[in-house]
Amino acid sequence: MAVTTRLTWLQEKRLQHHFGGKQFSLLYKASVHEFYSKNLLEKCCNQGPTIIVIYSENYVTGAYLLDSLQEERDVPVILFALQETEISEYKIGSHRLETLFYDMYRNAFENKRVTMSSKVNEELGLPEPCTTTFQECEVFRCEDLLDKRKGEGVTGTLLFAMSTYKPYKDMVHQIRILLLGPTGAGKSSFINSVKSIFRGHVTNQVLVGCDATGISKKYRTYPIKDGNDGQCLPFILCDSLGLSEKEGLCEEDIVSILKGHVPDRYQFNSMEPITSRHHNYIHSPSLQDRIHCVAFVFDANSVEQLSGEMVAKIKRIRREMIKYGVVHLALLTHVDSMDLITVGDFPDIYSCVPVKLKLETVQRKLGFALSDILVVSNYVSEWELNPVKDILILSALRQMLWAADDFLEDLPLE
Amino acid sequence: MAMTPRLTWLEEKRLQILLGNASLSLLYKQSAHGCSIQKMVQRCSQQGPTITMLYLQKSIVGALTVDHIPEIVDDSEKQCASIFFIFQKDSLTVMSTLLLNLLKVTSDYLEFCSSDKLNFWIYPKKRVFRKPDRSVNRAVINSSTDLQYLECEVFRVEGIKNDLGYIKKMMTATQHKNKLLADLRAYKPHADLVSKIRILLLGPVGSGKSSFFNSVKSVFHGHTTRQAPEGSDNTSITEQYRIYPVKDGKDGQYLPFMLCDSMGLDDTDDEGLCVDDIPYIIKGCVPDRYHFNPFNPITPKHPTFITSPSLKDQIHCVAYVLDINSIKSLSSEMVAKLKQIHEEVLKCGVAHVALLTKVNDCDEVLQENFLNMTKRMTSWNQVMLINQMLGIPLSNILMVRNYASERELDPMKDVLILSALRQMLRAADDFLEDLPLEETGKLSSFCSSCKALVFFEKTLSYTSIAWMGPD
Repeated sequence: MAVTTRLTWLQEKRLQHHFGGKQFSLLYKASVHEFYSKNLLEKCCNQGPTIIVIYSENYVTGAYLLDSLQEERDVPVILFALQETEISEYKIGSHRLETLFYDMYRNAFENKRVTMSSKVNEELGLPEPCTTTFQECEVFRCEDLLDKRKGEGVTGTLLFAMSTYKPYKDMVHQIRILLLGPTGAGKSSFINSVKSIFRGHVTNQVLVGCDATGISKKYRTYPIKDGNDGQCLPFILCDSLGLSEKEGLCEEDIVSILKGHVPDRYQFNSMEPITSRHHNYIHSPSLQDRIHCVAFVFDANSVEQLSGEMVAKIKRIRREMIKYGVVHLALLTHVDSMDLITVGDFPDIYSCVPVKLKLETVQRKLGFALSDILVVSNYVSEWELNPVKDILILSALRQMLWAADDFLEDLPLE
Repeated sequence: MAMTPRLTWLEEKRLQILLGNASLSLLYKQSAHGCSIQKMVQRCSQQGPTITMLYLQKSIVGALTVDHIPEIVDDSEKQCASIFFIFQKDSLTVMSTLLLNLLKVTSDYLEFCSSDKLNFWIYPKKRVFRKPDRSVNRAVINSSTDLQYLECEVFRVEGIKNDLGYIKKMMTATQHKNKLLADLRAYKPHADLVSKIRILLLGPVGSGKSSFFNSVKSVFHGHTTRQAPEGSDNTSITEQYRIYPVKDGKDGQYLPFMLCDSMGLDDTDDEGLCVDDIPYIIKGCVPDRYHFNPFNPITPKHPTFITSPSLKDQIHCVAYVLDINSIKSLSSEMVAKLKQIHEEVLKCGVAHVALLTKVNDCDEVLQENFLNMTKRMTSWNQVMLINQMLGIPLSNILMVRNYASERELDPMKDVLILSALRQMLRAADDFLEDLPLEETGKLSSFCSSCKALVFFEKTLSYTSIAWMGPD
């Protein structure tokens, strides 16, 4: 009963990429709607750009129509063939639907066989002319993935929610979110990205103060200002030395950070945790000085390669956080560099197959609940903001604030 | 000619969830494809399940059909199950639904109707439609009941179950959830004997006890929460006794129940919750945040031991929390331990239920009207197993799917969670009602509540009256 496409997720992705980041909506399926070009035309005319996909025994071929299909009207056509991981194409100019099928596919519909001319075969890099069985024909409407509806409205709502957020029972003025993770995972980039969103353009403030290799060695607490009125927002992002198997942040230092003993700009020492004798040590931290939520930051592309030692270290740290009641999440960065993922996928990022598999890997390896694993794409090389990218960053931030509320609500009465 | 749906993106997401995580493909848009029925049917026939949407200023009216829309043949009529709906714009709250079973296509209009002559009728040329209404003669056109719409769109719906009962259930789940929320907010324990019911969650490591609390809180907050730590370690993440109050939203009032979370049970006696701790928990002697020790149960000598707990401190309902997928593989040691615990619970006389978590077929657990559990669900075997193992009545074996992997709330899961909670409160009321008078009388020495004293005095009065009877 249901009418669904034969395209696999991968095939659809490759075609989308090749023809400019489109989203496909199935309009016509020959096995359901009958093998008549008239039927195809009825269902697919006046739908904007469309793509015709023909499945034969050995490969997938088709035609991309750059304009609306209309009766008695020529439309610019690009023929293509999809083989394994590559797409070849052949621009053949403008054609009417009837002549397109007659010339290129020689009565394909009537005979259910595909025979393409030598020229087309040559241009598409297909083997010498052969007749293969025609299995299916599907036609899709091609829509821009970055539908305007998906960006602006949602971003505005999220920005407003962040700006007007109030911590649980006003127990603190600002939520402190600690970013922990291996060196190079993107902790500082995430802070820059958050700052950028509220400023209205990309900023790189957080890199100031790092050494030549760009690695943070100081503990930094970054308040974020609202670009509109200059007021500080109700959260502070805290950046620390990266975790590593041997050097990196001491586990004892983490406990001190959580409790609020570590001052801004404290210089970490891998060999020696902070003690109460340090001249800037905060002896009696208030609730405001404590960490209210922790985000473990991992690069989505290297999280599988974490060593056994690093995994064990992270698990020990997590146990410590559970002991102190601090709620914590995982944040995967660089989601846009995962295979076949583009900015256009961001609005539904958690439905994408590669992302699902990645999250399941992180769950198995590190023990985070699936819903506690967030994904983002930080601003790295861009100058201007992208509303769709903002959605991931702001959504992750909102989850952290909700987690902090849970932490505050769970504190024992004092 | 923009082929973009009139729905906002958020509305589209909500609609997808409402339809059971279906996906939508726009097939026909009146402003782009013309206002003739022929044009509509050409694009929308033989496309599998479709949803026809009429946009008004503040609402969306339409019909969902799980059968193909037929191709146009003069005045064709077809058996075609469909569901008429009215959504509120923006929130997509379902305001009305109605099952219909016939679809008629003429050259001028599309008509969905039922055998008793209710019909939903769309006349694209004039951009008018008629809502199902028993009193209107369908032959009359341009009557005062015809309403104007702004746009008509038809989408193919993929990934939807081929079952209108299911779809109607999904659409009405939100209404039912809201009713349950209202009932729970208004709930008062039997005779106001206590202000909050305490529900104890007991069960093996990893069965979903802490997750159930998080899920309950999530439903009342409207987004997923994570106050109680959860994890996938093999030993219990929960090592402390926690008494969790639940608020009705972040800034709301406290609700009239608390969920008490304990350390998980383990097969061996060296790990997990000590069975000897349980009677003390039930009596209310264990303070919030007490750190359990598998080797040393709490004793009256412990500095924070509550020596004279009142009725409000004790547990009023115990919920045995079990992973529905692990029941068949419970070890004999665990079964024995559960039975031992159950005997203690029975001895204490406390209400008890079983809570089966990780249900896969959420949509099958309840009847279409949500009033009762069904036996058609694939999990019924597990229910029978628990019934036999512990002797818990079938109506007190509850099923939920906690929010553990999900990022968005789902009305069907909400309904299961809230229904389970309601059943626990009902069981607790039975327990309170069954308390002997001397138990309730203890209130007078522990609690200064006027209500309690009044209750106590009234009880004495009734007793006196009975005593002075004819005999």
